[in-house]
Amino acid sequence: MDKVPEVSNFTLSIIVANRAGALSRVTGLFSRRGYNIDTLTVSPMVEDPTMSRIIMTSSGDEATRKQIIKQLDKLFDVKEVKLI
Amino acid sequence: MKLNGAEILVETLIAHGVTDVFGFPGGTVINLYDALYDYQDRVTHYLTCHEQGAAHAADGYARATGKTGVVIATSGPGATNLVTGIATAYLDSTPMVAITGNVASGLIGKDSFQEVDIVGITMPVTKHNYMVKHVEELEEIVREAFQIARSGRPGPVLIDIPKDVQQAQCEFHGGMPKPLLPIPRVSEEALRAAAELIDASERPFVYAGGGLISCSAGEALRVFAERIDAPVGLSIMGLTALDSSHPLKHGLTGMHGHYVASKMNADADLIIGIGVRFSDRATGSTSKYQAKTKIIHIDIDGAEIDKNIDSVISLVGDAAEILPRLTEMVKRRENPTWIAKADLHRQESERFLAQEEMQLHDQDPQAKEEQQLLAQEDMDAQATGLTPQEIIHMVRRYAADDTVVSTDVGQHQMWVAQEYQFCLPRTLLTSGGLGTMGFGMGAAIGASIARGSARTVLFTGDGSFHMNMNEFVTAVTYGLPVVVVLFNNGSLGMVRQWQNLFFNQRYSNTTLERKTDYPKLAEAFGGKGYRASTMKELQAALDAAFSQTEPVLIECLIDSDEKVFPIIPPGGSFDDMIVK
Ligand SMILES: Cc1ncc(C[n+]2csc(CCOP(=O)(O)OP(=O)(O)O)c2C)c(N)n1
Repeated sequence: MDKVPEVSNFTLSIIVANRAGALSRVTGLFSRRGYNIDTLTVSPMVEDPTMSRIIMTSSGDEATRKQIIKQLDKLFDVKEVKLI
Repeated sequence: MKLNGAEILVETLIAHGVTDVFGFPGGTVINLYDALYDYQDRVTHYLTCHEQGAAHAADGYARATGKTGVVIATSGPGATNLVTGIATAYLDSTPMVAITGNVASGLIGKDSFQEVDIVGITMPVTKHNYMVKHVEELEEIVREAFQIARSGRPGPVLIDIPKDVQQAQCEFHGGMPKPLLPIPRVSEEALRAAAELIDASERPFVYAGGGLISCSAGEALRVFAERIDAPVGLSIMGLTALDSSHPLKHGLTGMHGHYVASKMNADADLIIGIGVRFSDRATGSTSKYQAKTKIIHIDIDGAEIDKNIDSVISLVGDAAEILPRLTEMVKRRENPTWIAKADLHRQESERFLAQEEMQLHDQDPQAKEEQQLLAQEDMDAQATGLTPQEIIHMVRRYAADDTVVSTDVGQHQMWVAQEYQFCLPRTLLTSGGLGTMGFGMGAAIGASIARGSARTVLFTGDGSFHMNMNEFVTAVTYGLPVVVVLFNNGSLGMVRQWQNLFFNQRYSNTTLERKTDYPKLAEAFGGKGYRASTMKELQAALDAAFSQTEPVLIECLIDSDEKVFPIIPPGGSFDDMIVK
């Protein structure tokens, strides 16, 4: 009856305010909700030094992927989340 | 105008309409308390016995009114004592601003005296939190914190302010509060699709929750449910959204939901979930829950959509705005066959209970004799003893419709949710999400203060009461007419019930062999105390309690084997319901 969900890898681009704690908010969300982080890089944005861009690869089924994006979107330091 | 950080904070609180705060002082908030001393004619600070009690009081204050509750604590242990209270508010989406002091900026990160990383600790249980680095950013942060706490789905926000930031001076601007963040409007097309699905359904069931209380959409719910003639079941957080006397209201659904509500929920071909998160306590097995029904999910928090259950249609937005529009679009109808099903289920449940007695008569003579003896004992017990249901009904007769009732956590909480006839929104304050024993005493105090020292009633258990009973002292200090109705079953009843049903009656650490004399305890704390083991005694105690203005505790003796029924075993479905 239950469909077996298909797990896949995906990459997220997350733009966060360059504030103390912003990165731990993002990574904390992943550990707390049981999502995987496979790789992660952070760099300040050239266009806007008050912002940083996090590029993250993660894995999970479609439902998990959608949840991750919505949960990230709820964080006040997160300005934009995109699947790339 | 130049002010120091502490003054800026208090001025900004006042600008946000804050008149009451709860808290407990200490070294790193001594500057803040110094400022509060100056502003005491405009902001009343309520000193509790423990920071957890202060947090629950701020939470209760917010739940009883919809305003943002404010709590203050010092760094280190003061801050960590808040954590359960903050998490309680987070899981039930209550607007709260928690303010903590921290050690001076130069001492941060050095394991200084009473230093903890409260921002790190509370990150997973706040909507957002801040460490204020410079006094110049303080005013803006406070304004933003109030904005976040009440925007969209409400929740707690914490602001951690190092001592030197409270001392430093800067220009105070005194701006207006920020407007709440906008909530996107649901499109006509999405609404139309939902309306079509509703019109096409044969057995629609409305399942509503705390979201309706937050956005004051109880009335909109009533009009909507009447229009489509749909039965309504409520989560414990949404229980007061609809008057209990309403014919469509079937009360609590979920693990301890009413028989009829659960059956109708299970029979539905369409569940319209409004302001609910379909938590495990409400759905049981999610695969079975959604197997035979379609679901429309309406919630202000988009991340709730398809998190626990899959919906066919989702509407993300404010129910107070969505429901009237949806009501306009759906066809008005009467659904007598569906509604009659509820009557059938009601008869069914009565038959179940009667059958149980019948079976006793069919047993072998010896067992029968034993049963009769037991029955006789039962009768004797009834002559003197009290049942939880009787107690709740009797208290209801004394309370006014707008009396705020708070509960702790356990069997007593579920009995109140099942039995108490609530009429008005925000009259039940209970820790639904975190299930925090000890919540009720603080909440009853906060609600009383929020409503101008009104009478509030706390239903508690002997286990829960011991967790935060120190706050009875706070009720005495401030002369709040809180009536504590304590169900003394000599046990951690809810856990005992599970041990009884699922763990072969192995009562590990749930029997309370305590010698507490509750009436004396209440008196020692400066209130009034009574003990009741009969209806007559209960009535006498309630007569006294409801005719005076000081805090009262009424200890009600009940049987330790009273159980909460129905119960859906964890992970089970409505079909697995145990009725008796
Ligand atoms: C802080 C906390 N610790 C433990 C629990 C687990 N728990 C849930 S109900 C319960 C028993 C509560 O006993 P009591 O307050 O006497 O209420 P009763 O069930 O007997 O009505 C316990 C221990 C909890 N909910 N909260």
